[in-house]
Amino acid sequence: MTFFEKIRSVVRREIRIWVRRPVYIVGSVFVMAFCTLFYLSFLRDGVPSDVPIAVVDLDRTATSREFCRQLDATQLGKVVMYDDFAEARFDMQGGRVTSVCVIPEGFNRDIQAQRQPTFSFYINGLYFLSGSLAWKDILTMVNLTNGAVQREVLRMKGVPESLIMGQLQPVDVDVHQIGNPTMNYGAYLANMMIPGMLQMVVVILMIYSLGTELKYGTSRHLLNAVDGDIYAAVSGKMALYTVLFTLIGWTLEVILYKWMHFPLAGRLGQMLLACFLLVVASEAVAVFIIGLVPVCRFALSIGALYSVLGLSMTGFTLPVEAMPTGLRGLTMMYPLRYYYDIYVQAGIFGSGFGQWYICVVALLLFCFLPFLVMKRLKHAYEYLDYERN
Amino acid sequence: MKETYAKGWLKDALGIFNLELGRLLRDGGVMIIFVVAGFLYPILYNFVYRNGVLENTPVAVVDNADCSDSRRMIREIDASRELATAYRCTDMEEAKDLMQKRKVNGIIYFPADFGEKVARQETAVFSIYADMSSFLYYKNVLMGSEFVMLHEINNIKVQRLRLDGLTDQQAGATVGAVLYEDNNPWNRAFSYSIFLISAILMLIIQQVMFYGMSMSVGTMREENRSFASLPDTLKGRGVGRVVLGRGAVYWLIFMTIGIYVGVIVPAMFGFPQRGSFWEIIILLAIFVTVCVFFCMTWSTLVTRRESAFILFLFMSPVCIFLTGCSWPTTAFPAFWKWFSYLFPSTFGCQAFINLNTAGADLEIVAPQLRALCLQGIVYFLLACGAVYVENFVIKRKDRIEEVRKGVEERIERRIGAGEIQI
Repeated sequence: MTFFEKIRSVVRREIRIWVRRPVYIVGSVFVMAFCTLFYLSFLRDGVPSDVPIAVVDLDRTATSREFCRQLDATQLGKVVMYDDFAEARFDMQGGRVTSVCVIPEGFNRDIQAQRQPTFSFYINGLYFLSGSLAWKDILTMVNLTNGAVQREVLRMKGVPESLIMGQLQPVDVDVHQIGNPTMNYGAYLANMMIPGMLQMVVVILMIYSLGTELKYGTSRHLLNAVDGDIYAAVSGKMALYTVLFTLIGWTLEVILYKWMHFPLAGRLGQMLLACFLLVVASEAVAVFIIGLVPVCRFALSIGALYSVLGLSMTGFTLPVEAMPTGLRGLTMMYPLRYYYDIYVQAGIFGSGFGQWYICVVALLLFCFLPFLVMKRLKHAYEYLDYERN
Repeated sequence: MKETYAKGWLKDALGIFNLELGRLLRDGGVMIIFVVAGFLYPILYNFVYRNGVLENTPVAVVDNADCSDSRRMIREIDASRELATAYRCTDMEEAKDLMQKRKVNGIIYFPADFGEKVARQETAVFSIYADMSSFLYYKNVLMGSEFVMLHEINNIKVQRLRLDGLTDQQAGATVGAVLYEDNNPWNRAFSYSIFLISAILMLIIQQVMFYGMSMSVGTMREENRSFASLPDTLKGRGVGRVVLGRGAVYWLIFMTIGIYVGVIVPAMFGFPQRGSFWEIIILLAIFVTVCVFFCMTWSTLVTRRESAFILFLFMSPVCIFLTGCSWPTTAFPAFWKWFSYLFPSTFGCQAFINLNTAGADLEIVAPQLRALCLQGIVYFLLACGAVYVENFVIKRKDRIEEVRKGVEERIERRIGAGEIQI
């Protein structure tokens, strides 16, 4: 039997297993479909709007009411009026409003008399996104209020209207968000969460596929089918799963960049390549884990621990350089980390292969991992001398 | 002596409790999940997110204006907590190159006419370019440069008003007509870890329990036993004592893990603990109870030992989003809002964030506790229903088996008697 024929027989055998046990297809296609649906629909607005901001208006004048109306009119905020601070604080502590603004008594009077009233606001920074956006929103409104007062003063002084803007805003900033110009939170998260889930599913399912052979004692049957060639057995399985997961992954990439039109500076083909490599490298990690610990259940537990942590270790939320020094090295154990680097280079900056070939090399290096454990895996497959359950 | 109902109930429940406890303790795989995941995960996450604040994000500066205003601003930007000017570039191409090589995460560009515009009393515009690969880079670049800008604006304005003949005090009062005071009492520096860890801790309890229990149920299913066998003497009654007897085992184990996760881990890592100890224990007691019934209900769907990992592992990150700690609950699409009500973690995490990290009291988290209690009742009934259905099916299976065996025996007898020729 040639190597190719052996692989074909493994593939045929694996497909028969898929037909008999739907868990493989449910665990890959259904799980990825659910995740994609979740991340794309849950964050579809991109930026949250109408987040409740409490206002305690102790002044009750036209000025303070105008402030509330303006704050309510911003995209982010929805003003909820409270009679006293204690009540508003109660709701902020319970997470029902993101922030509390207190307009002090005599606010209007003090502004007119140039007595500089102090406007206080409180943010619940534990609800991160809404908290930081509310902070920015309220701060902008305070500065605009200041600007309105100054404009009145300048007008009274007889400064011509054409010069007023320069007086009010001597310096301005022009913000460019490279790679996500609309500041779409959904695009930012989905771009990495979805491949992250793919990595998780690949690792778990690949471990399971190799591990069940041990668990149900069918590994010898598998070895018989390939004349005892463990390389053919593992390659056969990897080949089939690579096709399955690459197809799933490519579908997802097309959904992200062609259907959802998430910003992508480079070409789609580059992301497809990255996705393919992510799949292969994750499979290699899975083979390594099951080879190292040839007990289905232990390997799965390790795989689960490994891949759940992978989402944090990639550094797309908290960047790697902010992690403790000892952990930074560990982030290199995750294929997703290199996928992220390729995404940053190709997707955000649109740089060519020359800038990120090193990530491709790193992902390919993962493919050497299985060779380290092949002997051990073959031994386990032949003698089944490990605990089954 | 006649056994009272209560006594019998207790005896049965205790028997089931002992049986389940023994089963769990003998199951190495489940114990590994409980111990390794339950005890190690909180520590690992605390390590990863230990420095929740990103400081001194490197930026490249392109200063084509080269005037005193731009130079002062660059100095101030460098001095800010958020940013550090790592490179001074001669043109944008150089800066762009540095950004692509990820040596810097932002570019600050002063155009040639910046100084002139300030002098001409027009609006002088400078540009920032932020790397959006992580929102924390963006936040730092934006906040760092905006703080400096606001400060600069005030300085310039005061200077000009003084030139117009205003006194210092008048100028100050005009520029700062309204003073403001911002407070972020529970997460002063917008630390990423304080917000995330608060939510993750409670979720760990729920997920670890779910994977552990599913594994145990799956094992029994594989070994052709059932998690739901009722005491034989009761003839199909007594569902409650099975659920409560089994639940008590998990409840005890997870109250221990819960106290570790919710009280000891935060103390170990110097994490804010503003709530009262007993109130957190009360929350944990309710949350763990609901989790037990939740896991009992859903784990009935698991037929194999490992299925839980394959079919439900992806739910952990989803549950984090459903707690509303990052994307605000008010902005949830309606379907996902209802979906989030399925999980105890949704309310448990919110209550823990408010209670432990924001220092609220039980009165403030009452809505979450009420929701948890309601969930608890519903899941308790569902868990009972699951046990009942399981028993019903098992009984049926036995009867079918009996009938089948009966038929087989009859056929064999007839073969033996020579009535049927093979």
